[in-house]
Amino acid sequence: MVESLLEVKNLSMHYDTLDGNVDAVKDISFTVKSGESFGLVGESGCGKTSVAMTLLQLQPDNSVITEGSIKLDGKELIGLSENELRKVRWDSVSIVFQGAMNAWNPVVKIGEQIREAMREHYPENSKQQNINKINELFKMVGLDESISERFPHELSGGMKQRAVIALALSCDPKLIIADEPTTALDVVIQDQILNEIKKVQDLLGLSLIYISHDIAVIAEMTDKIAVMYAGSIVEIGPTQEVFKSPKHSYTRALLDSTPSIRGEKKKLRSLDGEPPSLINKIDGCSFSPRCPTPTTQCKNQSIEMRLVKVGDDHFADQCCSGCVKNE
Amino acid sequence: MLIYTIKRFFEMVIVFFLFLVISYLLFNAIPGNAFSSLLLNPLLPPEAYQKTIEAFGLDKPLYERVQLYIINFFKGDFGYSYTYYPRTPIDLIAERLPRTLMLFSIVNVIAFYTGFLVGKILAWRRGSKSETWITIGSVFSYTVFYPWFALMMLWFFGYKMDWFPLGKFLVPEKWYDSPYTSDEIFYTLIIFVTVSSFLLFLIFIFTRNIESLQNRRNVRFLGLISLFALAATYWTNGEAALKRFYAADIAYHMILPTFTVTLVAFAGTALLTRTTMMEVLKDDYILTARAKGLSQKRIRDRHAARTALLPVVTSFIFTIITIIDGSVLTESIFSWPGMGQLILEAVVQEDIPLAMASFSFIGILALIAHFIADVSYAFLDPRIRIKSEN
Ligand SMILES: Nc1ncnc2c1ncn2[C@@H]1O[C@H](COP(=O)(O)OP(=O)(O)O)[C@@H](O)[C@H]1O
Ligand SMILES: [Mg+2]
Repeated sequence: MVESLLEVKNLSMHYDTLDGNVDAVKDISFTVKSGESFGLVGESGCGKTSVAMTLLQLQPDNSVITEGSIKLDGKELIGLSENELRKVRWDSVSIVFQGAMNAWNPVVKIGEQIREAMREHYPENSKQQNINKINELFKMVGLDESISERFPHELSGGMKQRAVIALALSCDPKLIIADEPTTALDVVIQDQILNEIKKVQDLLGLSLIYISHDIAVIAEMTDKIAVMYAGSIVEIGPTQEVFKSPKHSYTRALLDSTPSIRGEKKKLRSLDGEPPSLINKIDGCSFSPRCPTPTTQCKNQSIEMRLVKVGDDHFADQCCSGCVKNE
Repeated sequence: MLIYTIKRFFEMVIVFFLFLVISYLLFNAIPGNAFSSLLLNPLLPPEAYQKTIEAFGLDKPLYERVQLYIINFFKGDFGYSYTYYPRTPIDLIAERLPRTLMLFSIVNVIAFYTGFLVGKILAWRRGSKSETWITIGSVFSYTVFYPWFALMMLWFFGYKMDWFPLGKFLVPEKWYDSPYTSDEIFYTLIIFVTVSSFLLFLIFIFTRNIESLQNRRNVRFLGLISLFALAATYWTNGEAALKRFYAADIAYHMILPTFTVTLVAFAGTALLTRTTMMEVLKDDYILTARAKGLSQKRIRDRHAARTALLPVVTSFIFTIITIIDGSVLTESIFSWPGMGQLILEAVVQEDIPLAMASFSFIGILALIAHFIADVSYAFLDPRIRIKSEN
């Protein structure tokens, strides 16, 4: 059996705001094995970025982790000091942020911004060693060596994003978290970047957490998928399995609202309504107000959200796991 | 970058011509004849009177006079000072300018650097008690009525505590049997400060390429130590050892004005730095820098403060002129016999040649300061630097 690289257990986090607590991450558990790619999908605002930030303890100051554990290679990350965390960041786990186009400091050369990270984690490297490595990485992601000496504003969006991938690889991480890395790019470039990520992941045998609101992209990229709704994971399982037989009606709704280009034509059904505000405490199933096929069980306010086994390595929330009647 | 610098330089020259013409016209527009005071001055010999009329072409039409003025300007011929006859304005300015330059540049460099440092730390410590208090203090010093504040400082530290001299730039008793004039000492001081700043700059430039941060820090520290050692050797050997005593006297007189102006002038920079840096801290690349595992200090200095510096420099460029104006006030209050006092005197005494010459030189000073700030801004912001290259 492959060792699991990342193990998240019962993670809960909220933001402390003037209006009250925003429960952005509620009791989330998942594992990522080494070499595996894991997808996190859900509407925007459901807490995906919050999960990603919490994994590296990069969350904003007003956030509070109330519970849970994050184990990387068996080592607990929650409770580590800032200096201990600095050693983990980028060295073991790197992140490609949402809106990674702005990930570059406008007044520092690209190469210098990459070397800066390498200096931190490989202090004994010579300048030439670092430069050679950057050139190698640039070649891998299809960039010219001269990019090192350029400033961010001289690059196109796609080039910047490729350079971000090179940056993410610069300290040989075991895991890359990609938070909507292609959202700001046009479709053609988007596809190139996706292929690039897939390619380097296979080449280097990295683990990947891929976050997106677009379930079609996740299908392309991942082995395992978790569907998030209002701060909770409502369904989790092998990607193929989840796509073939979604058990939660939210997953079903996401799939129904996504056009498939190659498959047969089908009528798109969009999901009505808004996701619930995360400030209010939600009793019972958080999805029930929008559920297109509610059962009597759904309206039961006392039912707790809990994942139950619905297939091989496939879990879905107990309140909604019966809603989908596979036609 | 070179093209940009050259372009800026020519712009500066054009502006300078405009400045000359307009300042001439302004003096020309002063009500009453500029000569009335000249005619009434019993100290002025008739040949000087005749010379002045000829030199300025005062009997010719306006446009010819402007022409003559500009030509004379480049010949360095401003006629004679009415009040200091037979000294020429150039002679007087050559004596006063180094004094102003010395005080002015040291004060502004210190004020700007302190302001930037304080602003940076304020933004970084956002929400802490010290941040609140320093911000309140900065707002106070930013809004305080400067002449009153300067007089209070003078009264307290100069009179009440008797720590510092009450103005002037030297103690005359110490200079009676001095082998040097104060000008010579000033030149020595200026050269010393310029050379050591330049060496400091070189140390930073040449250590930039050291890859290991630890080594870089060590080498810089070593460089700094040797610079101090070098300075110490300089002041203890040869002629400089004799000058040391007098230089120390001048330096001692500079402390209070420098401290006072810094207290007032740092606040604007500090508050602006604080605001821009708090904006910058929200930017995505700060998050990237944290994710990269960089140290807090490095994120603050290298990423946040470096970018926040740009608008601060812009605003500094715009305020250079008011800073120069302010130097008139500072020099009056601390009886610092520099350009500011010279101008004031010339205007009050209606010493037109001297006033015009000093205004032109202050104008040149302002333009050069502007030029340097502009070019260094382009150097700081690659977006301007690169654009100007293509
Ligand atoms: N710093 C913050 N303070 C308060 N609320 C926040 C903060 N950051 C995010 N949120 C809220 O937390 C929820 C989850 O946000 P996020 O994790 O960014 O979702 P996603 O990445 O899925 O779009 C949203 O409702 C958002 O408004
Ligand atoms: Mg997000």
